[in-house]
Amino acid sequence: MAEPVLEVNGLVKHYPLTQGVLFRKQTGAVRAVDGVDLVLGRGETLGIVGESGCGKSTVARLLVSLERPTAGEIRYRGEDITRLSGRALKAVRRNIQMVFQDPYTSLNPRMTVGDIVGEPYEIHPEAAPKGDRRRKVRELLEVVGLNPEHVNRYPHQFSGGQRQRIGIARGLALRPEIIVADEPVSALDVSVQAQVVNLMERLQGEFGLAYVFIAHDLSVVRHISDRVGVMYLGRIVETGTDTEIYDHPTHPYTQALLSAVPVPDPEARAHRERIILYGDVPSPTDIPSGCRFRTRCWKARERCALEVPALAVPEAFRAVGGPAAHDSACHFAEEKHVVADGNRPG
Amino acid sequence: MPPEVLLEVRDLHVEFRTRDGVAHAVNGVDYAVGRGQTLAVLGESGSGKSVTAQAVMGILDIPPGRITRGRILFRGQDLLKLKESERRRIRGAEMAMIFQDALSALNPVLTVGDQLGEMFVVHRGASRKDARARAVELMDRVRIPAAAQRVRDYPHQFSGGMRQRIMIAMALALEPALIIADEPTTALDVTVQAQVMDLLAELQRELTMGLVLITHDLGVVADVADRIAVMYAGRIVETAPVHDVYKAPAHPYTRGLLESIPRLDRKGRELYAIKGLPPSLTDIPRGCAFHPRCPMARDVCRTDVPPLYEVPGDRRSACHFWRECLDG
Repeated sequence: MAEPVLEVNGLVKHYPLTQGVLFRKQTGAVRAVDGVDLVLGRGETLGIVGESGCGKSTVARLLVSLERPTAGEIRYRGEDITRLSGRALKAVRRNIQMVFQDPYTSLNPRMTVGDIVGEPYEIHPEAAPKGDRRRKVRELLEVVGLNPEHVNRYPHQFSGGQRQRIGIARGLALRPEIIVADEPVSALDVSVQAQVVNLMERLQGEFGLAYVFIAHDLSVVRHISDRVGVMYLGRIVETGTDTEIYDHPTHPYTQALLSAVPVPDPEARAHRERIILYGDVPSPTDIPSGCRFRTRCWKARERCALEVPALAVPEAFRAVGGPAAHDSACHFAEEKHVVADGNRPG
Repeated sequence: MPPEVLLEVRDLHVEFRTRDGVAHAVNGVDYAVGRGQTLAVLGESGSGKSVTAQAVMGILDIPPGRITRGRILFRGQDLLKLKESERRRIRGAEMAMIFQDALSALNPVLTVGDQLGEMFVVHRGASRKDARARAVELMDRVRIPAAAQRVRDYPHQFSGGMRQRIMIAMALALEPALIIADEPTTALDVTVQAQVMDLLAELQRELTMGLVLITHDLGVVADVADRIAVMYAGRIVETAPVHDVYKAPAHPYTRGLLESIPRLDRKGRELYAIKGLPPSLTDIPRGCAFHPRCPMARDVCRTDVPPLYEVPGDRRSACHFWRECLDG
């Protein structure tokens, strides 16, 4: 892997639940992120997949310092940014920018596109001298495939896909090293989604960006990611390269998740085994003891309730090596092929 | 013997009067669904797939909506000629709808038991006690655990997947012959989506209902549908048995859609992207509505609206050059 630009260790974010007005006391906590470790290499894409409520968006907000973690560290170029404040934090934020999910609510409807894309320069005036900003904004619009003549238009005059391009242009304005994208294409139609994914890949090459790409769509994540982390209830349960995760998954949750994805190929559906999970994800206020997936796992035994499985290469694969030997937080990790090989139509 | 045809939509046109002019949402849609069949209606936002369904159910907002032409035949009877009171008797009892967003489709101040039971009280004249018992039965049928206790709960006390099951239960209550499901699993997570889709498919088989499944997800279509109708700018551009479409699409828009989705089973290089944007419904391009985005477009496409050509193998395509498209 390339030299790491971002290292996350033991990241925790708990939101306290309180009762009482005058004498507030804490009655519990929403354990949104509950011990996450990540490494992001220079210029690479780390995909994070998981279902709603698994804490992936909270991770995104922590990475760009929109929230302060309860515990753990986030190291950007070796420096723990969770302890920074004031000027030092501002300097780091210039290098870690965010693209949001909803292109409809993440752009201020009363600002022109030029003002939206140029706003980062108001906050970081050292990034571009005042006289130069107009030109830079037009350049950015062109880079993301929008007409630079449209700088004076308002967000409502653009389609969803175009708005997401505006959000990307804003994220690029300060020439960051890292972009954290939280579900950047999930609000878009299929035909437009492909345009935005391609754009993000092109920009990555052009500007040497590292992406943290958060999504619930497993196919999109595979397409864009070099490495993938699968999240469940506040923790990463399995992580590895895209081939390791998709073609050689060893954690039962990853296997169930992959097998549940509808495959756009009726031929493939005949020869693939589907694992249907029962029940719903438990509440993050009341996380099961031991392995947090055990309540929905078909392999769960006594040990799973007692011992928290560590995210490491399972013993069974340690000696053998190969693509199945990657980090997986399961006591009974086994390799299982769940993604059927389909033949592309046409 | 072909199955009994339940629903036939013939040359349906729907428009909306808006401030920006007349929006042509549906421009001549034809489709048919038989008993026990699943027809998937595929399209992106604004393609007219939901408006068509709303017109069939008779829940279109009129005005601003207006059905300007066409017929909707249910068991041979033209629904558009019926009085509202007659349509109400069919709606719910003979055809029912499942909506995408269960939380906003269910009444937040009534228990789910009351809402399910209401179907029996209104349509079958059941007593309250009887209706409650039927509600519990239905919840059991869609596999909601501890149905007898949960029947007194309110919609917000259920998870997304469970709420969608309640929607399905409500649609099934009177054992209708036809169900229209509008993006029934779009708001759900993949693992829950698989549970709900399986349940729906199983119940459909058991009751040999006709199912119109409206979706934008080509994966969901491949998993459950028999036939597919692809919509673009208010028209059906291709219709075929589901296997054939994936193997060899007969319309460049379908081809583009199939090629633009990333695949789970391989890491692709650059994705194929359909250029441009879907047209505004107030200003649909002349000729073939898809021509500004089509890689195969020629002069004739800019002037002549393509009819739905017959394609061998019980298929149709609204492309002047469907032969070329089939050949790849």
